[in-house]
Amino acid sequence: MTRWEYFIKRVLLTIPVLFLVLSFLFVMLRMGPIDPVAARLGPEADGTDAELMRERLGLNDPLWEQYTDFVMSFLTFDFGQSWVVQAERDILDIVISSAPATIWLGFWAILLPLFIGIPLGFYAGLNPNSFGDYTASFGGILWQALPNFWLCVLALAALRRTRDGGGPFGFDWYTFGPDFTARSISITGTPDLDWISTTDLLFVPVPYVADWTALAIDTKLILPAALILGSASMAAELRIGRTAMLETINSNFVETAKAKGLTNRVIVWKHIFRNSLIPLLPVITSEAFLLIGGSVIVEQIFNINGLGRIFFQSITQGDLPMAGALLFIFTLIILFLNILQDFLYTVIDPRVGYEK
Amino acid sequence: MRKSDRKPDDEATSRRRMLGLLGGTATVALAGCADEEDPEDGDIEDEDPEDGDDEEGTAERTNADKAQAAWERAVDNPLPEDEGLRQDAYVEMEEAVRDDAVLVPIYHGFTELFWYDYVDVPLTGALGDHWQQHNNTQVDGQDELNLINSTFDELDPIMSTDTASSRVITQIYENLSQFPNGVPEVENQLLDEFEVSEDGTTWTFTIRDDATFHDGGDVTADDVKYSWRRSVESPNTERRGFTLNQPVGLGIDVEMDDDGPVPDSLAVEVIDDQTLEIELVGPNPDVLDVIAYSSFAVIPEGYVGDIDGYDGEVSHQEFTTEVANGTGPFELDEFNADEDVRVVRNDDYYGDVADVEALNWEIIENDDAIWTYALEQNADIFEIPTPFYDQDAVDADTDDRNREVGTYGPAGGLNEEVNYVGISELSTYYFGFNAENVDAPVRQAVAYVLDKQQVVDEVFAGRGTPAFSFLPPGIWPTGADGYDAFVDDYPYSRGESDLESAQEVLADAGYTADDPAELTLTTYEDVAFETAGELVRDLLSGSGADIDLDVSQFSVLQNRGEDGDLEMYTLGWIWSWPAAPYGSFQLEPRNTRTEGMPGETNGFYLNWHTELEEEQ
Repeated sequence: MTRWEYFIKRVLLTIPVLFLVLSFLFVMLRMGPIDPVAARLGPEADGTDAELMRERLGLNDPLWEQYTDFVMSFLTFDFGQSWVVQAERDILDIVISSAPATIWLGFWAILLPLFIGIPLGFYAGLNPNSFGDYTASFGGILWQALPNFWLCVLALAALRRTRDGGGPFGFDWYTFGPDFTARSISITGTPDLDWISTTDLLFVPVPYVADWTALAIDTKLILPAALILGSASMAAELRIGRTAMLETINSNFVETAKAKGLTNRVIVWKHIFRNSLIPLLPVITSEAFLLIGGSVIVEQIFNINGLGRIFFQSITQGDLPMAGALLFIFTLIILFLNILQDFLYTVIDPRVGYEK
Repeated sequence: MRKSDRKPDDEATSRRRMLGLLGGTATVALAGCADEEDPEDGDIEDEDPEDGDDEEGTAERTNADKAQAAWERAVDNPLPEDEGLRQDAYVEMEEAVRDDAVLVPIYHGFTELFWYDYVDVPLTGALGDHWQQHNNTQVDGQDELNLINSTFDELDPIMSTDTASSRVITQIYENLSQFPNGVPEVENQLLDEFEVSEDGTTWTFTIRDDATFHDGGDVTADDVKYSWRRSVESPNTERRGFTLNQPVGLGIDVEMDDDGPVPDSLAVEVIDDQTLEIELVGPNPDVLDVIAYSSFAVIPEGYVGDIDGYDGEVSHQEFTTEVANGTGPFELDEFNADEDVRVVRNDDYYGDVADVEALNWEIIENDDAIWTYALEQNADIFEIPTPFYDQDAVDADTDDRNREVGTYGPAGGLNEEVNYVGISELSTYYFGFNAENVDAPVRQAVAYVLDKQQVVDEVFAGRGTPAFSFLPPGIWPTGADGYDAFVDDYPYSRGESDLESAQEVLADAGYTADDPAELTLTTYEDVAFETAGELVRDLLSGSGADIDLDVSQFSVLQNRGEDGDLEMYTLGWIWSWPAAPYGSFQLEPRNTRTEGMPGETNGFYLNWHTELEEEQ
């Protein structure tokens, strides 16, 4: 099997997975215990009003008809309208309007661990059993053990207290960097993201930063949430980075390189570093799974109107098409990432994949 | 003839208790009176169903009979001059419910609002702050008023069923009548004057001639008719019942066919530009209260094309979230679902033009985020989430509307004193019993051991009002004194758990620790109900009643209720307008027959009709 046959096989395999997911979604959402009519009308619901709505939402149609409708419309990205959370609004609209905040949050939540977790892990691996190694490793375990929701509540309480110089040494998160007090901005809330603009360069729209202050504000707004959201993966990257480093450092080719008289610098950066990245790759791509799950609680507490919060609402309020659409989108993202990961893996590490 | 000897004398009370102890099936004692009163007679309209009973005394009637008779008496006498008679009837229903313990109230909701010193806002009434128009609110030193709201998704008045959307809709749209600031005393809004026909079924409304819509158009009777037709004919309406039903609603006449209401058959007739006439299916004493509800809000004729005969200027989806055109003191500026809402001042408002230029609501659901936002003074008026609330920081006195008015703080993260108002809401949360499945003594035992104050303290940090009646004190039919008297007479425990009486009533009925009554309490996921349920279960275990706790989904509870499967359950009721029948209808014994649900009957899941003598 060639590399490309392997790749195409992987892509084809996702089709039955997708159908399984769709069927599972249908069964779970439509036959589960949540009654959207009750969720929508509340405890004062009148029998005839409820019946009217039941008819309007198509809940009286035969089940198989509901199923084929469901599958067909999802495959064509026609998710229909939300039932409860933002009733009557097109789901695609809702997703498009709330996705940027989550992407912005996810961007920082992936970036921070990359630039904090991996260097720390490599440092710990290069200096095993030193004080620095113990500190970093212990910190990593602790960081990974702290639950996100708890960190969120704690961080918010701490930041809130720094208002008007109430923090340690007169630290004030509100006036640190772009001044939130003077602008009457809350440290919670949804980033506007209107600093980004596009300009036409040879008829191709190219995005550029139009307003650096707004960018700073949005970054400061998202930073605590992103740091917490990325905390688990940061710790994971630290620990795997350390192990990978240790493993590589003790392998034979490093010894050979040493015997050959290469400088430490070249050995570390050219040989050890690149080989250590191999086990880290799946860790990094799979972070997306964590981010999707984690953003639910982080967005809720930091009052960010993103996909996670919308998903949480639609699940708890029985908004079946909305929850289904989001799950479907999440599934697509994860399937895509899986393929991408396999692809990159086979490209980077020739030993993997196409030889059985 | 009607008012005397309504109150049961002592003998009657003790007799009734004895009947209760027999499990509510005292057929022997009732036989004599069943002969006298054919149940069918009770339905004949020109004859007061009570008369027969009065002659032979109240002793042999069950509590269910008493409640049924009282309800019918109230409904059969809907004219304004019978007000006193209706009030007594509603109290009598309450007494029957209390004595039979078919429904044991737990608490009434309690809302507390806080605002910084630089804000001057009229005090909110018992109906809640979502009735409050902010055109009389002043903010020192800033041009806009900032508030917090929960998530909501629609600005169409006929779709609005929640308080969050009401808060915004109230600023934009107006009705013929209103409850200013949520105080439960109805006043005219777009209405100039009204007339009622002798029989109480024809109402003529004259609307004020100086009101205009935000786009400049005059408000006419045609607009009112169109708006009310939408509440019935639009496929989007969620409050059709409020327009068509009686006594739970307005009860405007309409023609129905298989597809629902016939287009343009609603009995609303436009007389001239300012006058319209409605024809009700029967007299209704609460017309002005009902038309204050947001589904009766007035929008310009033909604005949305979701009923027959109109193409609509805007699509319904636009109307739901993007555009609005009402008569209120504020106009919609921007609505970002789940993020924020902004309305700006209507400078051409016919009433008091608002002092603030705009209102902003930040939409926040999470407690931590709400508290952060409020502490930052990004919200000028706010509520304090219970985890951050400290009851000892409240310094307030009761005013003449039974509100707690005063100050709060400094406490917790709040470094300054803020203004405070605490309002007992028009809502009641209760234990209900399916009378067919649970005997009266067991129900009474629950009432004896339930310490309502303890539930309120443990669950809400004291933010609730212990409930002794289904009708909240704010709309008690015979006023504050009447309510106090009712509470004084409350036979079960008040502020304690009366385990002894509970054991006594159970022992008298033959239930002992060795041979206990067994029942299941079904609640939905709600910390207050679960706590109350655990309390009662723990207290009663080993003393003759074993309660099994079952937590289910809200809709499952509803379905099981309609199937008549529940034994003991928890639910709540919130009043959309301050009238006793909008609530008490669910306690009419014949209306609690679960076999007829949903559709034919729409009361609570009590099956209380099984204790009517006609069923024995």
